[in-house]
Amino acid sequence: MLKTTVAATALCTAFASAVPHAAQAGKNDDTLRVALAEEILNLDYNYTTKREYIIMAELTDATLFDLDPETQEFAPAVASDWEWVDDTTLNVDLREGVTFHDGSELSAEDVAYTYNWIVSDESEAQAKGTIERWLETVEVTGDLSLRFHLKSVYPLVLRDMAQRVKLRPEGAYEAEDGSVDESAMATDLVGAGPYKVVSFEPGQEVVLERFEEYWGEAPAIENVVVRNLPDIGTQQAELMAGGVDWMFKVPLDVAESLGNMPQAAHLSGPDLRVGFLVLDAAGYTDEDGPLTNVKVRQAVNHALNREEMAEYLIGGSAKPIYTPCHPAQFGCTEDIPAYPYDPEKSKALLEEAGYGDGFQMDLWAYRDKPAAEAIAADLEAVGIDVNLRYVKLASLNQARAQREIPAYFGTWGSGGTADTAAIARVHFAGDSDRNLSGDGQLTETVLSAEQTADPEERKKIYEEALTTIAEQAYWAPLFSYSQNYLVNPDLEFPLSPDGLPRLDKASWK
Amino acid sequence: MLRYILQRGALALAVAFTVSLATFFLLNVATDPAYAIAGEDATPEMLAQIRDTYGLDRPLATRYFDWLGGVLTGNFGESYYWNKPVAELVASRAPTTIALALSALSVTILISIPLGAWAALKPNSWADRFALGVAVSAQAVPNFWLGLIMIILFSVTIPIFPVSGDDTWLHFVLPAFVLGASSVPAVMRLTRTGLIEVMDSDYIRTARSKGFRGMPLLTRHAMRNAILPVVSVLAVQLGQKFGGSVITESIFAINGLGRLALESILGSDIPTVQMLIFVFALVFVAMNLLADILNAALDPRIRIG
Repeated sequence: MLKTTVAATALCTAFASAVPHAAQAGKNDDTLRVALAEEILNLDYNYTTKREYIIMAELTDATLFDLDPETQEFAPAVASDWEWVDDTTLNVDLREGVTFHDGSELSAEDVAYTYNWIVSDESEAQAKGTIERWLETVEVTGDLSLRFHLKSVYPLVLRDMAQRVKLRPEGAYEAEDGSVDESAMATDLVGAGPYKVVSFEPGQEVVLERFEEYWGEAPAIENVVVRNLPDIGTQQAELMAGGVDWMFKVPLDVAESLGNMPQAAHLSGPDLRVGFLVLDAAGYTDEDGPLTNVKVRQAVNHALNREEMAEYLIGGSAKPIYTPCHPAQFGCTEDIPAYPYDPEKSKALLEEAGYGDGFQMDLWAYRDKPAAEAIAADLEAVGIDVNLRYVKLASLNQARAQREIPAYFGTWGSGGTADTAAIARVHFAGDSDRNLSGDGQLTETVLSAEQTADPEERKKIYEEALTTIAEQAYWAPLFSYSQNYLVNPDLEFPLSPDGLPRLDKASWK
Repeated sequence: MLRYILQRGALALAVAFTVSLATFFLLNVATDPAYAIAGEDATPEMLAQIRDTYGLDRPLATRYFDWLGGVLTGNFGESYYWNKPVAELVASRAPTTIALALSALSVTILISIPLGAWAALKPNSWADRFALGVAVSAQAVPNFWLGLIMIILFSVTIPIFPVSGDDTWLHFVLPAFVLGASSVPAVMRLTRTGLIEVMDSDYIRTARSKGFRGMPLLTRHAMRNAILPVVSVLAVQLGQKFGGSVITESIFAINGLGRLALESILGSDIPTVQMLIFVFALVFVAMNLLADILNAALDPRIRIG
């Protein structure tokens, strides 16, 4: 008994003495230690897509424009001024004194090279698909001035410039012998962002240091070390032991329980990701199936208790949504027909549609199993016999590509783009396998919103499109997500309304 | 002997090729690598770009034979994820996994052989029961759970060892223990059984009559014969450590072949998965072969034919 007591006391003492040391580890050496489960294999965001790479690029790269996450307004960044000559010609002036991490001064030649490279045949850049939609070519008109020639009117030009294209020095993608080397920046990055790369071990660790010649506001923290820790349990242990100051994508229950410990603080911020049910209104899986009937789709909408799902299953700052986009996105009006939770009305609609005895439906899902099960339970409650097929994302994608899915619980993060175009096009344009509406007119409406640069006109078009989607109940919108972070309590980490973690804005308390 | 080794080597290659064929088609049927590379919010433009970059839009058979042709000329292809030759990737990760596997095997030997001997010397005593308890527990506890418990105990609560990484020898202590513990039951029980059998034999009675007792009797006379089956099990266990390192390496963020395997499978990085399966299959067969050769060397009665 005595031995047990002594051992327990020793453990507690060891734990208590470890705590202050752990909590101050990052602050003491002014180094922000970040844990990411997703591997960082390539530092060049022009060649990558995932959220973790966006977070890295925010630290290392500069763009022509910046997007204010609060107001969604564009502000010049490397650009100092811009002017639309006509609908398809844009003049951009550049700021003086912008320096790349290799010490070279940024010029109009560098910017033109970057954009022209991305849309070139040999680039194979991940950014190419987005940029070649609108960019014809870029012409240098002076040391610090450029002219962008567009293929056609496109409203998201500044947004793509702010988010998708990271500036590189001229010749960045050329090998020493003059041949093309599209992975030249993957490990030896030359950016112009607030941090420069000190060392990079792909899949293991990226060490960054504040770039003293950075043209913008200098970050408060001097060093950032990003470690790839694939296991969330290991990340938690590192946070408790003081080896990590910041981790994200933390499951709600873990965030809440660890957030109560002295070594960790739980932050919950908004996320542009939304969850929704997509229903096979077009009848791809069954020409005369129940889901081709609008009353059945409306019944599905009325059957779902979104409030409780958002509050109890997603948690944090998650909110129920009744519109097929994130309300923070440009053009995402909530002033459209909504289907509040009303199981009785749902049953009545099924009766009216001739499915008073219910019907059998396969519901596919790939994440947030508790929410998927709640959706299935709500649908069962109004008489729909749901067969929940919870699978890996890749399997769902494949089945959907083969038009084998009558209904699925999908989610979309819009790549952090707070514009309805980023969710509407991929889900309601005719050539996308995510579009189960089969509504050609709707496709035209959605695409027409990308053919005008007038914001008011675009809002009107999206309102029309979203109203159609709601009236026809092509989707059952569910909830917006929240992003849970666990951080060192000494860290001041501001949360952005668009859900993108901006680590360069972090500071020590 | 040489003929035997060559036969076994050919068999290993045949196994590796068969497994690679099955893996290639299963991975491609189960998933579209373009989706895995692009992530959750893949737009059609991204997918088209990725398929074009990696040639994923070509027929499956063409892609397999391209890969096979490459392998026969020593080229295992390029990793989709890492954008570098798979052989280079595997070679850079292998030393870490070899170090971990050998450390884990040392842990197994250090725990299980003394424990097995102790249990054998006092069969059916409390010592034997204790050893049995250790064996059953080690068998029942899953790797990932033991790993996390060890981290909580020895990295967070009592910060002796680092939580994760592979920079110093200290980083290997906990993972080696976790990986080694899973082999303790088999080796311990085999040591115990072997020793109990040997202790009943005539030559041990003779040794006893000459006055040998305790440790000298055990180490000089009994162990040499009892250890034979243990050696072959240890060789097989070493092979298993390579495959078994997948979970342990992921928990402790060790950049070895196991973690690479997990990442490649999750990311549908088919060229890397295929080479890893090749490597794991070859290591496994090689370890079995080594076990046979070691047995022959330790026991002249065994003739390999």
